[in-house]
Amino acid sequence: MTGEMVLTVPTESGRKNRRSIGRAETLLAVATLAVLVYGALTTDGFLTLEGLKATVSGVGILGIVAVGMTCVTLSGSLFCLTLGSTLTISSMAFLSWMSIGVLPALVLTIVMGALVCAVQGLLIGGLAANPIVVTVGLGSLQIGVASWLTNQSTVYPPAGASYQWLSAVYAGLPLSVYVLVALVLAVAAWLSWSRTGQLIRLVGENSRAARAAGIPVTGTVVAGFVIAGGCAALGGVLLGATDGNATLLSGGDRYTYDAIAAVLVGGAAAGGGRGKVQHTVYGALFIALISNMLLLRGFGGGAQMLVTGVLVLIVLLIFQMRRRVR
Amino acid sequence: MAGVTKSYGALHALKGIDLTVEAGEIHALCGHNGAGKSTLVKVLSGIVRQDAGTMAIDGRTVDFHHPGDAQRAGVSVVDQEISLIPALSVRENLLLGLPNAPFFVRHATSELFVKGLLARVGLEGLNPLTLVERLSLGERQLVEIARALGRGGRLLILDEPTATLSDVEIDLVFKAVKTAASEGTSVLYVSHRLGEVLEICDKVSVFRDGNKVTTSEVGKLVKRSLIELMVGEVKGDDTVRPVLAAEVSPRLQVRGLQTPRLHGIDLAVDRGRIVALAGQIGSGAGDVLRALAGLVPEASGLVFAEDKRVRLGSPSASLRAGLSYVSNDRKSEGLFLEQSTQTNLVATRLDSLSRAGFVRSRALRSIASGLARIVGLESKMASPVGTFSGGNQQKAFLGRCLMRGDKGVLLLDEPTRGVDVAGRSEIHRLIRDAATAGNAVVFASTELDEILDLADEVVTLSAGRIVSARPRAEVTTEELLSDMTHVEREVVNP
Repeated sequence: MTGEMVLTVPTESGRKNRRSIGRAETLLAVATLAVLVYGALTTDGFLTLEGLKATVSGVGILGIVAVGMTCVTLSGSLFCLTLGSTLTISSMAFLSWMSIGVLPALVLTIVMGALVCAVQGLLIGGLAANPIVVTVGLGSLQIGVASWLTNQSTVYPPAGASYQWLSAVYAGLPLSVYVLVALVLAVAAWLSWSRTGQLIRLVGENSRAARAAGIPVTGTVVAGFVIAGGCAALGGVLLGATDGNATLLSGGDRYTYDAIAAVLVGGAAAGGGRGKVQHTVYGALFIALISNMLLLRGFGGGAQMLVTGVLVLIVLLIFQMRRRVR
Repeated sequence: MAGVTKSYGALHALKGIDLTVEAGEIHALCGHNGAGKSTLVKVLSGIVRQDAGTMAIDGRTVDFHHPGDAQRAGVSVVDQEISLIPALSVRENLLLGLPNAPFFVRHATSELFVKGLLARVGLEGLNPLTLVERLSLGERQLVEIARALGRGGRLLILDEPTATLSDVEIDLVFKAVKTAASEGTSVLYVSHRLGEVLEICDKVSVFRDGNKVTTSEVGKLVKRSLIELMVGEVKGDDTVRPVLAAEVSPRLQVRGLQTPRLHGIDLAVDRGRIVALAGQIGSGAGDVLRALAGLVPEASGLVFAEDKRVRLGSPSASLRAGLSYVSNDRKSEGLFLEQSTQTNLVATRLDSLSRAGFVRSRALRSIASGLARIVGLESKMASPVGTFSGGNQQKAFLGRCLMRGDKGVLLLDEPTRGVDVAGRSEIHRLIRDAATAGNAVVFASTELDEILDLADEVVTLSAGRIVSARPRAEVTTEELLSDMTHVEREVVNP
């Protein structure tokens, strides 16, 4: 290798033009407004009190599950793919345990849901196991145990149990909507003001750094899963009370995927550390608005799923681009 | 190459380097950390582009925008981090990335080619179908050299190839390098180990502060004169810190610390003292800190902080005992880059700031602003630390470990890596202040200036053992460099 010439070519190595596409809130607000306007202009019965009530009513249980899912995502454990089946078995457990009284059954069900998910958190946080593998595996286990216990039959509440207040409509909206509002407030407060809530974000953003700093990573991840399990169980209780019966085939899995969609549309970072439960609920509302509009225009469940899928894809693309620009 | 210049912001990493390597020559690059060797390697391999200057291979001017350009021009690099694919066989790895590899590999011809390559690096006995993950580190290094040979390289760059190898493996690598040179390949050999350089290289270029000091025939040099060339002038530490009255027992005491990479380390650090663990990459200096921080599950030995036994292998146990660790990799093992300065500063002390599980936000703010004042980041409390310069990030990281009743032990791994000159002296001041306030400080460094500037006591390590432990006043630069570049064989087989 020989060289003589000296050339001076200054190169520029600074990245310029750091444009930032709007923040998650503004993005969602604009999109929601667009859907409302479009819906009002083109769909009969959409932008009426009744139409909106129907949309909001449909969000209650899904929102509750999605709030739990947000805690898992924030802790850096991607998604808990069993929340839907936890919801299903919870509704079955609640209905069959109601013979000991409605309130004890409710508490017991929530404890069970929290414990079931705590085990997943222990494996993921403590052994750094892959969240997808763990949650799918333990989800099958849950369903397996439930189907063995119930012999795959449908569970009905004991005769004469007074649980109807759990599915009653107050001031035009079902109880689940009020529960959701209370839950969002409580979990948001917990995330911002409690020690563990603050640690969840740190562990979620960089679990290696958290471990090296001496932060209790396992406990923090478990806490996220406990909240998720409790939420799913609560959702199960409300669903069981609404339906008045529960079976393994009642389609709880739908809640898993819709909750993930809500978390993503709400702008939480799939990798953890960034996101808010309030935004997840906006996400759920947004998806429900669109589904409802499609329903009113006569499209079936297939079309609704298709649109939800496309939506999630668009949101992911936007957030991915945003991160590139950074 | 001629007049090659590279600056990172205000940091001039290379200041107009001219370098000529003849065909078949083994040319060493020496210089301690920050001298510009690695930047030069990056320019030659197309990872960064020079700001000015030209390079030519076989008389043809080349301009690399991308590592692929460099590879096509015949430059191949073997560095400490091995870039073979562990799940593939030796043969597949050797055939990967060949300039004119056929889409379907024909067994017969490739078999001959692969066998030939392995023979050239002394691995005749190795079955080419062995998976790379089953090879020892040394064998992987050799396979990597073989791959570089197979690509028909004109220039082979070896960056600290022996840092993690055993003696036998080092001999094999030397043989392979000589073979490559005898076949006409030029070799650039980057190493801290002066013994090696003198043993196998033809010429040496010494770098210091981004300048090439000299190029010389190896025959004309002895180790001592090479050290003098590398060191140049080192300015001493002119600040005098008060000596704190020692406690009855040392703040940190380590006896017989063992890990897979450490073989019986003893240390005692009083409060107010700064101890440097000096050693090159692979010496174990950083491993001592990791073990003390609870990050090495296999660690064993006796560690006492303030006479209380510290359980090893648990980061939170170490933290509770007052041992705070500042990793050398602040981005992936230190800071929470998307979080604010405030959050980062208090991340490890939420426990003490909480009542009934809820954080007392006023107490949190006052602690955080106290820490921010110490490290000089008050004006940046709310900004995410990911947007800061390396120096400010390091200050935030360091700040997180301070002010634990000044009864702490700070474990700092390369405390000024990737920090510019100004930030560096500020961080040094912070470390001195922390010691003066009553903390015990242990830091690992590969940089001579830093060690001599900061330390009260210098402990040199090599191959996972302590070579020497001396008070700073009794250490000269030459001795230090000589201990740090200790030819490994002398340590392993005394």
